[in-house]
Amino acid sequence: MSQVQSIDSGLKLASEQVFNRVKDAGAEADLIILSAESLSLKASEGKLEEHTVSNTQSFGVRVIKNDHVGIAYSEASDSESLLWMVDQALKNAAFSDVEPHEHILDSQQRLVSDDSIFCPEDGASVDQQIDMVLQLEQGLLEKSSIKSVPYNGFSDVSSSRYLFSSAGLSAAAKQRMVYAYAYALAEDGEKNAMEGSGQMSRLTAQLNVPELIDTVASTSLDLLDGKPIPSKHYDVIFDQECQVELFGVFSMVLSGKAAKEGINPWRKKLGEHVADSRLSLRDKPLLMDGFGYALFDDEGVATKDTDFIVDGKLSSMMHNSVTASYFGLTTTGHASRSARSTMGVGLHQLAMEAGSAAASEVYAGEYLEITSMAGLHSGANAISGDFSLGVSGFLCRDGQRVQPVRGITVAGNFYKMLNQIQCIGDRRFWNWQRTAWMPSIRFADLAISGE
Amino acid sequence: MLNPATAQSVIDHALSLGADFAELFVEKHLTSSLNTISEKVKSVDSGIDFGIGLRIVFGEKVLYGYTNQTGAEVLKRIASNLAARDRRDRLNERVAFDFSVMKDRHPSQIVLSKDAAIDSKVEYLLKADAIARAVSNSITQTRGYCMQREQAIEIFNSEGLHTSDTRNYIRAGLTSIASDGNEQATGGWNDGGLLGWELNGSMNAEYTGEEASRQALVNLSAKPCPSGRMPVVIGNGFGGVIFHEACGHLLETTSVAKKASVFHDQMGEMIASSVVNAVDDGLMNNEWGSINIDDEGMPTQRTQLIKDGQLINFLVDRIGSEKTGYPRSGSGRRQSYRYAPASRMRNTFIEAGDSEMDDMIASIDKGIYASHMGGGSVQPGTGEFNFAVTEGYYVENGKIQYPVKAATLISTGPAVLKEISMVGKDFALACGMCGSVSGAIPTTVGQPALKVDDILVGGNA
Repeated sequence: MSQVQSIDSGLKLASEQVFNRVKDAGAEADLIILSAESLSLKASEGKLEEHTVSNTQSFGVRVIKNDHVGIAYSEASDSESLLWMVDQALKNAAFSDVEPHEHILDSQQRLVSDDSIFCPEDGASVDQQIDMVLQLEQGLLEKSSIKSVPYNGFSDVSSSRYLFSSAGLSAAAKQRMVYAYAYALAEDGEKNAMEGSGQMSRLTAQLNVPELIDTVASTSLDLLDGKPIPSKHYDVIFDQECQVELFGVFSMVLSGKAAKEGINPWRKKLGEHVADSRLSLRDKPLLMDGFGYALFDDEGVATKDTDFIVDGKLSSMMHNSVTASYFGLTTTGHASRSARSTMGVGLHQLAMEAGSAAASEVYAGEYLEITSMAGLHSGANAISGDFSLGVSGFLCRDGQRVQPVRGITVAGNFYKMLNQIQCIGDRRFWNWQRTAWMPSIRFADLAISGE
Repeated sequence: MLNPATAQSVIDHALSLGADFAELFVEKHLTSSLNTISEKVKSVDSGIDFGIGLRIVFGEKVLYGYTNQTGAEVLKRIASNLAARDRRDRLNERVAFDFSVMKDRHPSQIVLSKDAAIDSKVEYLLKADAIARAVSNSITQTRGYCMQREQAIEIFNSEGLHTSDTRNYIRAGLTSIASDGNEQATGGWNDGGLLGWELNGSMNAEYTGEEASRQALVNLSAKPCPSGRMPVVIGNGFGGVIFHEACGHLLETTSVAKKASVFHDQMGEMIASSVVNAVDDGLMNNEWGSINIDDEGMPTQRTQLIKDGQLINFLVDRIGSEKTGYPRSGSGRRQSYRYAPASRMRNTFIEAGDSEMDDMIASIDKGIYASHMGGGSVQPGTGEFNFAVTEGYYVENGKIQYPVKAATLISTGPAVLKEISMVGKDFALACGMCGSVSGAIPTTVGQPALKVDDILVGGNA
């Protein structure tokens, strides 16, 4: 039986205080309330090294008065602080330029997610969760050549998101994330390597620690003998983690906000080919297997599937009501904001259509499999599309790893790379954080610098 | 911010559970942020962060909890929950608080709690925008920002410490975007410090706008970067990110204590070329990475890390000191009450040497001059680091030839420190944000220009 949560009466009261102040000022507003309870654990040398618990709440108000928008937030929930927050937002609005496209949506909807699916009761005790993180570290240390597990952890996070507006909207969503991760340092004489991985679920019991131990150990140990390969152009396959990270960094090309602001390099390419014709990319916010599931966006708009790229052609971008109004469109349900931030757009969960290439085609001949990337935050420029990253992985032949590779860089232009696709696999994989579902793509001819 | 009687009762409760050490970190943090797009004010926002972090230590185990609530009962309940598995008979009696405050080394005038000075900040950014866009028709847009914060902290611990401090941070900058119709490129400039908006007096909107656009236009005209192992001259100021990533993180006891740093057993060893002298200094007046006290309440200090190539000090926090035996260096830092403190950098730099810039360039047969650097990252366990070149030039036969784009430098800390052969005279510092286990904190990087004889350059030529 589903368990649909009710909206806490204290929060309703807080929202009423906020909206009364807003109304007195002759403005309209919406209020986002984010709260979270978390537990995180870390192990070191067979003992619990860190144990952190938290219980936090933050309030963020967006006021609109005479087409001027102001934002303010507070982590204190007393009346005085909430009213200060509204006054501060009104003051901030006075300095902002006119934004004729930004309005509080005229919605009186009541949207509530199903807790029994997205925030199930976890029967695991804290002691069991502590045992799990100790078992994770211990299992790795028992592997030959694993000298330490400097970074490891277990977290159990329950978070709630509430939205209210002066128009009468009320929406609530709650979700639980339970995850474990580890980075193991492997050493053999002068050689060393440190790699990691993780698992995420909604219940502690669904985490498979032995499997995680094997994954982390093999990714570190397999790279111990890694060395640079000759500098030249290679076919490259990014593993599912790296591929999702790469698409994430360059997702600005799908941003209606970046298009409105004139920095999205695809802003004038709607309807044009931007990628290989075998590539189709969409957002599937209601896919319940993923952790990017969202019943509604941060304006309280019910979400739905959005096609971004269909057969290589740019079909749509992510829009909130502001960017949609600017372009004469309707919102795609991608409004995104935290308590502290202005209204933006954001992906829910990216899903790429599977291609037609069987594994025998994707992994044919010589190619470089990239399993680890460094410097994504600094070595990739979403405005130009250029990237140059330190990477590790394996030189492969016909699906077999023939040489571990480290100390190399991969460089190119992501937007051009989308037209350098050799083939797309016929199976899709989730990344470990379950935010994107994609097949493997084999990119042709990327510049690798090594020896 | 927290009644001392409440603090005393919570700490006493933690000790009654058998804790070796207990600490409360109370924070009230005002923020104000202003963003512009070209000649328009895009957003103005502000807020208050408030919360309390409770750290309880049993042996080497750190238990940490945080909340937005100030009641003693809430804090005691957190302590009891945290210590449920470690509870034992009391080992330590409480020590009465002895309130003391360090003299403020970083006086600030136009601070957020008195005046957010939005008008003046808007004026500065719009002036920089106008100058930036006047540089060339190819400058299609600018994006400006001014971020100001006022972080008030109060720390209580079971050893009787009760202290407080207020830190005022300001940072402002501009990014220019250049386009030739097909390609886009960016350039930027920013400045900041541990002070208020009086920074405006030392910043120059003309220079900010012109420099951001100059970089964007250089990058628009840049060619793909050659790749492979080659000598590289790294420019001054933010070029110091090489030391921050290649070495600084590896000298924090956060990784040293876990033997997760390649330098954990190298104290007293020659870990760098003898021309390298490196310092982490928290005392520098009004510098971005400075503090009065660290986030464990200890007065900060200047720490010489490397002297003539020899490793002589680590960066040590309380837990790191207990684990390694090295004395604390006033380096325990955290982003906010949401994080337990860890040993972190402050203002970290390579000291000036005696080489001339022209001699460094002239000594290169084929290589790169990386005049401006972006961010980077490091894996402490292996020392592998990477960082991005945001403005670079190909050098051949001792002369700068043409600008290059999309270049990354990768190496390992131990390797690159020994490849530094020349250190210049043009010492400069630059602001940065450093992310690690205790969150994102303001840190300064710095160096004079220096030459690395052999490093892997990743490019796509």
